[in-house]
Amino acid sequence: MRRGFWLWAAALATYAFLYVPLAVVVLFSFNDSELNASWVGFTTRWYGKLLGDADLLQAAANSLLIAIVSSTIATILGTMAGIALHRWRPRFLPFLVLTPVAMPEILLGVSLLLFFRQVLDLTLGLFSILAAHITFSIGFVAIIIRARLAGMDESIFEAARDLGATPWRTFVRVTFPLILPGIVAGFLMSFTLSIDDFVITFFVAGVGVTTLPLQIYSMIKVAVTPEVNAISTLLMALTLTLIALASRFAPDALRKSA
Amino acid sequence: MPGSSSNTERAGRLTRWLVTAPPAAFLVVFFLLPALIMAAASFREPGEFGGLAPLAAGGMNLDAYRFIVDDPIYAWILAKSFAVAGLTTLICLLLAYPLAMRIVRSPRRRRDLLVLLVILPFASNFLIRIYAWMIILGPLGLLYSPVAVLAGMVYVHLPFMILPLYTNLEKHDPALLEAAQDLGAGRWARFWRVTWPLSLPGVLSGSALVFIPVLGMFAVPELLGGTGDLLIGNLIKEQFLDNRDWPLGAALSLVLTAAVLAVAGLSAALTRNRGQA
Amino acid sequence: MKLALAFLLSALAALARAEDTLYLYNWNNYISAETAARFEAWCSCRLKQDYYSDNEEMLAKLEAGATGYDLLVPTGNAVQTLIRKQELQMLARERLPHLANIAPAFADPWYDPGLRHAVPYATTVTLLGFNATRLAELGLPTDSWALIFEPRHLQRIKGRVSVLNSQRELMAAALRYLGHPANDTDPGHWTAARDLILRAKPYWATFSNSTYIKDLAIGNIWVAHGYSNDMFRAREDARAAGRPFAIGFAIPKEGAVLAVDNFVIHKSSRRPDLAHRFIDFMLQGENAADVSNLIGAGNPNQAALPFIRPEVAGDPALFPPPETLKRLEMLRDLEPKQRRLMSRLWTEIKVK
Repeated sequence: MRRGFWLWAAALATYAFLYVPLAVVVLFSFNDSELNASWVGFTTRWYGKLLGDADLLQAAANSLLIAIVSSTIATILGTMAGIALHRWRPRFLPFLVLTPVAMPEILLGVSLLLFFRQVLDLTLGLFSILAAHITFSIGFVAIIIRARLAGMDESIFEAARDLGATPWRTFVRVTFPLILPGIVAGFLMSFTLSIDDFVITFFVAGVGVTTLPLQIYSMIKVAVTPEVNAISTLLMALTLTLIALASRFAPDALRKSA
Repeated sequence: MPGSSSNTERAGRLTRWLVTAPPAAFLVVFFLLPALIMAAASFREPGEFGGLAPLAAGGMNLDAYRFIVDDPIYAWILAKSFAVAGLTTLICLLLAYPLAMRIVRSPRRRRDLLVLLVILPFASNFLIRIYAWMIILGPLGLLYSPVAVLAGMVYVHLPFMILPLYTNLEKHDPALLEAAQDLGAGRWARFWRVTWPLSLPGVLSGSALVFIPVLGMFAVPELLGGTGDLLIGNLIKEQFLDNRDWPLGAALSLVLTAAVLAVAGLSAALTRNRGQA
Repeated sequence: MKLALAFLLSALAALARAEDTLYLYNWNNYISAETAARFEAWCSCRLKQDYYSDNEEMLAKLEAGATGYDLLVPTGNAVQTLIRKQELQMLARERLPHLANIAPAFADPWYDPGLRHAVPYATTVTLLGFNATRLAELGLPTDSWALIFEPRHLQRIKGRVSVLNSQRELMAAALRYLGHPANDTDPGHWTAARDLILRAKPYWATFSNSTYIKDLAIGNIWVAHGYSNDMFRAREDARAAGRPFAIGFAIPKEGAVLAVDNFVIHKSSRRPDLAHRFIDFMLQGENAADVSNLIGAGNPNQAALPFIRPEVAGDPALFPPPETLKRLEMLRDLEPKQRRLMSRLWTEIKVK
């Protein structure tokens, strides 16, 4: 009984540790004080200010656009990679697909910067960010798809083959519907990763194309007003919804991908 | 029928090629190639105004590496980064383990909710999570200190430790614990002799998922840390975005890559010895 | 619902890009919102700013491929580097009728003889800002770099000091305190400067390029190494917030770094026409005066003087008198190998 109590206490303490700081961020988004050093009063004007902040809205639009495009491409490529990893296990593919997931982001960011500037002499901008985001998302999608396939009964595919279905038909009629929850989870995961990414985008973003995290970073460094809290709260609400959706579609896939 | 089976074979190989090639090609171009470029850049001369000197003018040499080896400060920073990563991993483990155990012992229906509650803070942007600590630690006078850096690192990476641990602990067969109890083992012995060894693959997984990213972090020390709390991630960032010394930055990146591969290799080897993660 | 929002935002984004937009890469807090708004109304265009807090940061970003900026605001030494790298457009004099407003002292600088690429905008001095009330209570000197380098002073203000997160600036302060020029390249002197800094570092709270403004104005930091215009802002902020203390700032007697910041047009600029209009707008007396009145920077534009508030124009830290000017130096750029050595010293300073 006592052991149970201590475990509960420890668990609750950890949950508190996880949530209190975020609660503080949300709470102080309603603080009527520009310096936001201590609580002054309740106001919602910072949310109003957000809507008038053209730079921030532009950054948000960019982030959304980049996230949608990069997740779509990453999901397609990642699904192919996941199927390949499961079905044929080519020797080099796991390294190519999984290493970007395991590497510290700064290494990916730096090497892409060098590649774009030195080799391609490319002006950094939308394309460089898209390429970078797709690169690190493919691995996540592949892991989710592979996990989903691994949990499946092989006999279905054998049955389809025995009945004379071509690989394409097998994919469309059998594989695809079965992995669809995984594909959706993978898309949502890539979307979240893209919207949230800071480090890699920091190195490969160019002029005139800011993303939301980069904008938040410069806001934090330059002038921290409750506006930062407000945009943080809104962002939390958005990604919260997405993760809840993802867990609805493929709860095991999410856990196995950890 | 020989004709149709070789058709099927060819269709099979074509399928395999069509499915494997696009993601592989993309990753070769946007991951492998840049990695090799970075490795090559570490052997070049710095440009007169920054960046890289043209190959014809500067040639290739080991200057950047000699520079790193010359001064113990770089080894010191790498060691310090390892220490911070290790400490963060340990603290994450101490916080995550009771929580994971508590979730596993809950009724099945509640478990998914509890796991979701773990993932949700992860849903907030990583900078926001750091910013939250700036708000909290400022009035406490703990901002710009090693404590702040550690708090930030732990906070950002905790979910990465909780999830693999939970996934592992969930698979433990309760019958083993019952058997141990029947054999007279006390609560602590049961944990230490049964649960802990079985959970090691999960511990290793989670540890790798915390240790490696922490090694490369720069935003946490930059925003929460004080004057002395520079880690190797900050050093690398500085070379590219402040000093314009790309060869040195590339060389440091390669050193970090080697360190990461060593840790990953060690973790993989340990996991393999213990069976499935 | 979210999809609709996404499309709406993208449409807004597309609209924004269609307007006449001028991209300005500028120091933090270096153009007031009022001035920017007046310019936007005058030219019927949009001014979009990105910010940096250090010349090195700006140069590094350009090196890393940040093209698309029309205007930059580099300090003199950075102007010289950019000219040598052939990254700047030559100015079309005929489009800058108000160029004659620049005072003779600034009209033929070492970094751009004859002002063919750059137009001086503002001057700042890197100095010490402080909580005058606290320091008077503690009886500490406010006119010398000793305030941030000598342990005997520092122990009374431990944890309350912020220094610039800039290699060149901090080393320059240390070198001047030791009696050497800020542009000294003697490795022996550099090592001595490093040791001086390392001795003082345990007493400092943080390295910061911008957060010290707020920290001074709130009262968290009592001494800050920073730019004169930022100190001006901190002083105004503290006054406006009704703080129980006053912020002061002064140029240390051992000498300091003077920065002349200039508008330049990057070679990749897509709207040099707008850029020239902007520069000429900023050359006009009333507009040029804004940077002094609202930002607290010194002014190289003599047509601006009648429009500058007397308390700003008369402040010796913002508009240094001739005797002080003799002790001020502009920083020059370093060679690559010197840069590498300095970066190592800087690493040692940060980590030890």
